[in-house]
Amino acid sequence: MAVDTAPALVDDRAPARHARAGTVYAVLGLLLIAAAFTWLGGKTTVIAFDKTLTDASWAAPTFAIVLVLGALCAAAGAWMLVGLPQRRFRLASTVGVAALVLSLLFWAYSQEGTVFRAESILAGALFLSMPYIFGALSGVVCERSGVINIGIEGQFLMGAFTGVLVANITGSIYAGLAGAMIAGSLSTMLLALLATKYQVNQVVVGVILNLLALGFTSFMYDQLKKAEGFNDAFSVPVITWGPLADIPVIGPVLFQQKLFVYAGLVMVAVVWFLLYRTRWGLRTRAVGEHPAAADSMGVNVNRLRYWNVVAAGLLAGFGGAWFTLGNSLAFNKNMTAGLGFVALAVMIVGRWNPLGVLAGALIFGFTTQIARDLSAAGSSVPGEFLQMLPYAVTLVVVAGLIGKAKAPAADGVPYNPGDK
Amino acid sequence: MSDSTTTEAPAEPPAPVEEPEQKPNFMRVFGRYLTEANSVMVTVYSLLLAFLIGAILLIVSDEYTRSTFSYFFARPQDALQASWYLVRDSYLSLFEGAILNLNTLESYQAGQADFGNLLRPLSETLTYATPLIFTGLAVGLAFRAGLFNIGAQGQLIFGMMGALIVGFSLDLPIWLHLPIAIIAGGLAGAALGAVPGVLKASTGAHEVISSIMLNNIAALFLVWALGTSFLHSETKSDLVSKPVDDSAVLPGLLSSLNPSLRVNLALVIGFAAAVFTWWLLSKSTFGFRIRAVGFNEHAAATAGMRIGSTYTTTMAAAGALAGLGGAALALGVSSGGITTNTALDYGFSGITVALLGRANPGGIVASALLFGALKAGALSAQPDVPVDISTLLQATIVLFIAAPALVKAILHLRTPRGGLVTLEAKGW
Repeated sequence: MAVDTAPALVDDRAPARHARAGTVYAVLGLLLIAAAFTWLGGKTTVIAFDKTLTDASWAAPTFAIVLVLGALCAAAGAWMLVGLPQRRFRLASTVGVAALVLSLLFWAYSQEGTVFRAESILAGALFLSMPYIFGALSGVVCERSGVINIGIEGQFLMGAFTGVLVANITGSIYAGLAGAMIAGSLSTMLLALLATKYQVNQVVVGVILNLLALGFTSFMYDQLKKAEGFNDAFSVPVITWGPLADIPVIGPVLFQQKLFVYAGLVMVAVVWFLLYRTRWGLRTRAVGEHPAAADSMGVNVNRLRYWNVVAAGLLAGFGGAWFTLGNSLAFNKNMTAGLGFVALAVMIVGRWNPLGVLAGALIFGFTTQIARDLSAAGSSVPGEFLQMLPYAVTLVVVAGLIGKAKAPAADGVPYNPGDK
Repeated sequence: MSDSTTTEAPAEPPAPVEEPEQKPNFMRVFGRYLTEANSVMVTVYSLLLAFLIGAILLIVSDEYTRSTFSYFFARPQDALQASWYLVRDSYLSLFEGAILNLNTLESYQAGQADFGNLLRPLSETLTYATPLIFTGLAVGLAFRAGLFNIGAQGQLIFGMMGALIVGFSLDLPIWLHLPIAIIAGGLAGAALGAVPGVLKASTGAHEVISSIMLNNIAALFLVWALGTSFLHSETKSDLVSKPVDDSAVLPGLLSSLNPSLRVNLALVIGFAAAVFTWWLLSKSTFGFRIRAVGFNEHAAATAGMRIGSTYTTTMAAAGALAGLGGAALALGVSSGGITTNTALDYGFSGITVALLGRANPGGIVASALLFGALKAGALSAQPDVPVDISTLLQATIVLFIAAPALVKAILHLRTPRGGLVTLEAKGW
C-alpha cells in the first residue's frame, strides 16, 4: 500500500469560502423559518422532567424557538459563504447541525398530545447508544491495527446468543456476560487467523462470518428451543447511585443506569488511553498506518494484529450481550437487525477515534430513541419510516456529508513480511 | 480462470523435485490432482468439510444424542449409534426433500403414485434455485468490478414490488402484460441498486455499508407499503398484497403433469439471464470495462475509462438482475399476493451463491442449484431438522471457498501451479 504524500501546510487562520456547505446550511435555515411561519404559529412544545420533578413541565413557544434556531442555522451558512477561518469551520457546522436537529425536535413534539419527556428520552438514548459504542470500539481496535472487521454484526449475534445461554446454564448474569465476551472473541479469532496467517480478503470473510453467525445462532436457537431452560430472559439490575439519582436531568441519565452504560463509558476512556498514551497504542497505530515501518522497528505486525482482533471480539461480544441481557430479552433469530453495520458507520463518523465514537454513538442512540418515542406517541409519520431513521442517518453519514473521513492507511491490507 | 479472481503468491516456495522422473500415468496425475488445492478440489473439500461440521453441530445440539454421550465411556456404541442415526436421518431427509423421496419412489413403482409426485422434490429445488440464480448473478456481476453488492436482498424486495404493482394495476393482454411486469421488476431493482454505486462514485461511501442500510430500508418500506390501501389485499386482513392478474402470472413448466409442481418459466429466464451475463462480461465492451475496473481501477482510469460511471452502471445492472429475481417471486410462486416473508433470505444467499460460483455465470447457476436443493431440503425436513441448517451449511461452505489457504492447511494439500484462487473486494 502506497503511503500518501504529506498534506500541504495550510494556514488555518486564513479565511476560506465553503460555497456548497454554506449554501446547504443557509437554504435549510431559511426553509425552517418559512416552515415556522406556515405551520407553527401559536403551537407549543411541552417539555417534562418526568422522573425527578414529576409535576413540572414547560410549555415552550414552538414558533419563536424554531424561528431563532432557523436564523442561527442560516447565519452559520452565511458565515461559510462569506468566508471563515479554517479552524472555525467545525464550530460553524456544529452550530448549523445542532440548530437543525433541535428545531426539528421542537417541531416534531409540537403536535397535540405529545410530550417531550426529557429525562426518559435522554436516559433511553444513552442506553440505546451502547451497542454502537461497543461495536464501534471493537472496530476501532481492529482497524487501527489494519484489519477491517465487517463481522461486528455476527459477533453481536454470537454474544447475544451465548450470553443468554450461559446465564441460563449457570444461573448467573455475570457468567453470561463473560460467556458473551468469550464467544465474541472466539468468532473474531477466526477472522484474526484468516486475516493474518492466511491473508484472505477481510471484507469477503467478514461478510461470510456474519452469515455463519446468523446460521449458527438460528440453528442452535431452533435446536435448543426443543428443551426448556436454555433461552429464558435474564436482566441486569439497574444501578442507582443513592441521592445522586435524584438530581434533575443528570440523575436519571447518568446515575440510574444499567451496568452496560457504565462499562461502555469506561471502555471509551480506556480504549482512548490505551491507543494514545501507551506503547501498545503507538504500535497499533503504527501497524495500521505503515506496517513495513513498524516491522523494521521490531514490531511483529501479524502477531499484534491477531491479538488486537481477538481483544476486539471481547468488546463486540459484550455489546452483543446488551441485546439480550441488557434489554431483559430472550434470544431471537437475527435480533441484532443490522445494528452491527450501523456500529461500523459510527466508527467511520467517529474517525476511528474512541471519543469520536462516543459522540457518534450518542447521536445514533438519540435518533433511535426519538424514533421509538414518536412512534409510541402516535406520530403522523408512519412507524416504519421512523424505524428507518438510524439506517437513513447512517447512509447520509457514510456518504460523507459530515466531512471526508480517512481510514488508517493500511486498513484491510494483509501484511506479508516477505514482500516489503 | 476468471479475471476478477486474483492469485495469491504461494505461501512457500515450491518444493524442489526430489523423486526421480517417473512416467506420468493416469492414477499418478489423478492422485496429484486430488491432493492439490486447485479450485475444483477446494470446492469439493469445502463441501465435505462443511457437511462434516454440520454433522458435528447436529450431534452436539441434539438433546437425546447428547445424553448418550454422558455415558460414552461405559457404552460407546450407544453414543456412536445415536450420532450415526441422527446424522444419517437428517441428511437423508434433506436429500428426500430436495432430490428424490424414497417412499414416493416405492409407491410409484407399486403404481400408487404418479410421475408428477415423484418429481415434486426436484421441482421444489428448482423453484428455490430460481431467485438464487438472479441474486447470485447480481452479486457476481458486481464482484467482477471489485464491488461487493450486499444489497441484493433490498433490490429483490424492490423488484418484487415493481412487478407486483404492474402485475395488478395494468390491464393488458398476456403477451404484453407479463414482459412489462418482469421489466418493471428489473427497473425497480436497478433503481435501488444504482444508489450505492452513485454514492461510491460521488462520495466514496463504501458499498457494503450503504447497501446493507438500503436492505433494511427496503424491508421496512415493504412493511409500510403492504399496509397501504393501494397494495393491501382486498379480501384478507393480514399483511398480504393484492394478487397479480392472471395475464401477468408466469406459467408453470410442469403443471400439466401435476398442478402442485411449482417450477415455472422464471427458471428459463434465469438461465437466459446467466447466458446474457456471461455474454455481457466476456464479449461486450461494457463487460470489458467492468473487468478492467475490477482488476485494477488505476490502470483502467489511466486507459481512459470512467471509474465512477462504471460503478454506477454496474451496480444498476446488478440491481436489475436481483430485481428480476423479485419479479420471478411476485409473478411466480407468490402471484397470489406477496408478504413480508416472500423474499426469505434469497438476497443474502445470493452472496454465498456468487462466492461458491466464483463470480462466473456458469458457476453461479450450478451453486444456485446446490443451494436451492439445500433450501428445499431444509424446508421440507423441518421441524425434525432445524431449517437454518441450510444457512449454516452455505456459510460454512463459502467460508472455506473464500479462504482456500485454510482448506489447504487443514488437509495438507499442495499449492497448485499459479497459486490459490481467491475473490477480492476493496476496503474503505
